[in-house]
Amino acid sequence: MDPSKSRDSAESTRVIQFPNDVLERILSLIDSHRDRSAVSLVSKAWYNAERWTRRHVFIGNCYAVSPQIVARRFPNIRSVTLKGKPRFSDFNLVPPNWGAEVHAWLAVFADQYPLLEELRLKRMTVTDESLKFLARKFQKFRALSLLSCDGFSTNGLEAIATDCRHLTELDIQENGIDDISGNWLSCFPENFTSLEVLNFASLSSDVNFDALERLVSQCKSLKILKVNKNITLEQLQRLLVRAPQLTELGTGSFLQELTAHQYEELERAFIGCKNLHALSGSWEATTLYLPVLYPACTNLTFLNLSYAALPSEELAKLVAHCPHLQRLWVLDTIEDVGLQAVASNCPLLEELRVFPADPYDQDINRGVTESGFLAVSLGCRKLHYVLYFCRQMTNAAVARIVQNCPGFTHFRLCIMKPGQPDYVTNEPMDEGFGAVVKTCTNLRRLGVSGLLTDLTFEYIGRYAKNLETLSVAFAGGSDRGMQCILDGCPKLRKLEIRDSPFGNGALLSGLEKYESMRSLWMSACKVTLNGCKMLARQRPRLNVEVMKDEDMDDGQSYKVYVYRTVAGPRTDAPSFVHTL
Amino acid sequence: MASSRKITLRSSDGESFEVEEAVAVESQTIKHMIEDDCADNAIPLPNVTSKILAKVIEYCKKHVDASKAEDRVNDEDLKAWDAAFIKVDQVDQATLFDLILAANYLNIKSLLDLTCQTVADMIKGNLFPVRNEWLNFTFSIANRELVLVCLTEWVAHRRLFCS
Repeated sequence: MDPSKSRDSAESTRVIQFPNDVLERILSLIDSHRDRSAVSLVSKAWYNAERWTRRHVFIGNCYAVSPQIVARRFPNIRSVTLKGKPRFSDFNLVPPNWGAEVHAWLAVFADQYPLLEELRLKRMTVTDESLKFLARKFQKFRALSLLSCDGFSTNGLEAIATDCRHLTELDIQENGIDDISGNWLSCFPENFTSLEVLNFASLSSDVNFDALERLVSQCKSLKILKVNKNITLEQLQRLLVRAPQLTELGTGSFLQELTAHQYEELERAFIGCKNLHALSGSWEATTLYLPVLYPACTNLTFLNLSYAALPSEELAKLVAHCPHLQRLWVLDTIEDVGLQAVASNCPLLEELRVFPADPYDQDINRGVTESGFLAVSLGCRKLHYVLYFCRQMTNAAVARIVQNCPGFTHFRLCIMKPGQPDYVTNEPMDEGFGAVVKTCTNLRRLGVSGLLTDLTFEYIGRYAKNLETLSVAFAGGSDRGMQCILDGCPKLRKLEIRDSPFGNGALLSGLEKYESMRSLWMSACKVTLNGCKMLARQRPRLNVEVMKDEDMDDGQSYKVYVYRTVAGPRTDAPSFVHTL
Repeated sequence: MASSRKITLRSSDGESFEVEEAVAVESQTIKHMIEDDCADNAIPLPNVTSKILAKVIEYCKKHVDASKAEDRVNDEDLKAWDAAFIKVDQVDQATLFDLILAANYLNIKSLLDLTCQTVADMIKGNLFPVRNEWLNFTFSIANRELVLVCLTEWVAHRRLFCS
């Protein structure tokens, strides 16, 4: 036996013999859930030490495990992150009342984790009753974050504000909720001081400004404040003056008319916020007062303008003041000329997201093109995350872009019209995406679009060795495409496909792979019920769920959601979800 | 200047180390022994070899000196010294593990924190040389969930394990 190997196994035996308290001490220093999962596989002693010391559990698919199993394995959890519906529910592909209800989890947590402090939910269904239950049952509760959730109203928020005495974080983002009134904000007790994060930017009802002002002045640790668009500039000034320690700010509307004096006061308020590094807001079109932000822009690392349809000249002027910008989210009103300004002024940029101001507008003279993307890749060599909506693209441009920035970890290119070829050569976009996977060896997430044949998927399967998430829409030629992905891509975790010609052959070619993935979604593809049944029969540890569109009868109307689970078939599935 | 008493510590392999009391009592275990009046002769440390005891004494001496008024060392410098002290290619892994056990037995909190953090960092950085014992286990049906969850994570985290 190789001497170094025998030494290693001698070492490994010794390490495993650490006294328990030493082992737990070491493991308490490890936070990442992936590291912890790996650590728990070392030995039974390590598995036990890890489970006792875990404080935060991340559950990427709420149906992969049951709350009972989680509680049995991890007795000391203080913080839970739960994700529910598949991502394509953002595009209305998942019918309402599908599931992902949080209440069953809360019921178990009330029993097993009465000291729970943090709950972060994404794409879950949360009712007002659940929020009231949460506020009532968990005396130490501190942080609530709801992203893309649905099912509750502002009444539920009232319970949180009233009863959570130690609340430090209330983060409500992008949820489909019933916005009845802004009264919830007035429900915070008079002497409330603990808030550090308050984000109600996506709520539309008016809140009582006096209550908000009092809250902000009392909560001296408030670091993140994102108000909704009903807050005027004058009110914003009053808030900023009371919270100069803010690190992240979401402004309200910029529509108000200011006197010269008010303008000066606002400018001074922004100058006073010396720790501001992130800025967002629902700024309406008037650009008259944008310069008031300029002093605060010097230290900005994150600028989120995805709710501000500003013209490109104004955006160009704004980014010219942000030399330290690392992340920029904009609408495509920025146009190529605005992106050129980004390239010239923001050399530290790492992440760029360009959203379509009007996705249904077919006019190719609007928005951004390959030139803008190319310009940014030339000026911002640290770029590694891009989400880019455009109406035209070429293979040559994509190839040059990744040559300039080979460090891409997330490359999500959305050529908005489905099936659109390279507009110069009229060829499929295969070579462009081929260049992406060949050049960007650290690629973890890929979103493809445009006219794509199976060749794209051959490239992905062959080269994208670190790919974890792949989104496919209106692409591919035959089963072979999907097969290449499932045969290659050793680290694939999430595969979501819509409107692509992959059928049962492709589905079944993944038999060996699905248990190592979180989930597979296929809708409007060529799989049939028989194919799904075959998959379910051969892989009992997967849930193979089929949803049928009522209006259509043929095989192409199925939505298939396949995921690994230790919890068995869903017990709460609605009538339109069939577990095979 | 107060006279500092010298304490003799004897390692498991019979070697004697004379140290100032201030240095010796960085170890809570030794401190309690002294308080309980057990320290007239040499204090035997049957769980610590001379090689490791020498390193432990080096560490404690540095930290005692660092806090003395006339030689006050700032926090940054001490942290740098600690980092150099524990750097893995100077302290091979066997020594690192022995140091952890010694720090635990001798109850020297700062050394225990330093060594445990080092091991944690090695784990995070996939530098941990542990061979998975997975294949040697037989799990009962009750541990079914362990089997599945581990199996899939095992596939995903194969890189952690040397082969």
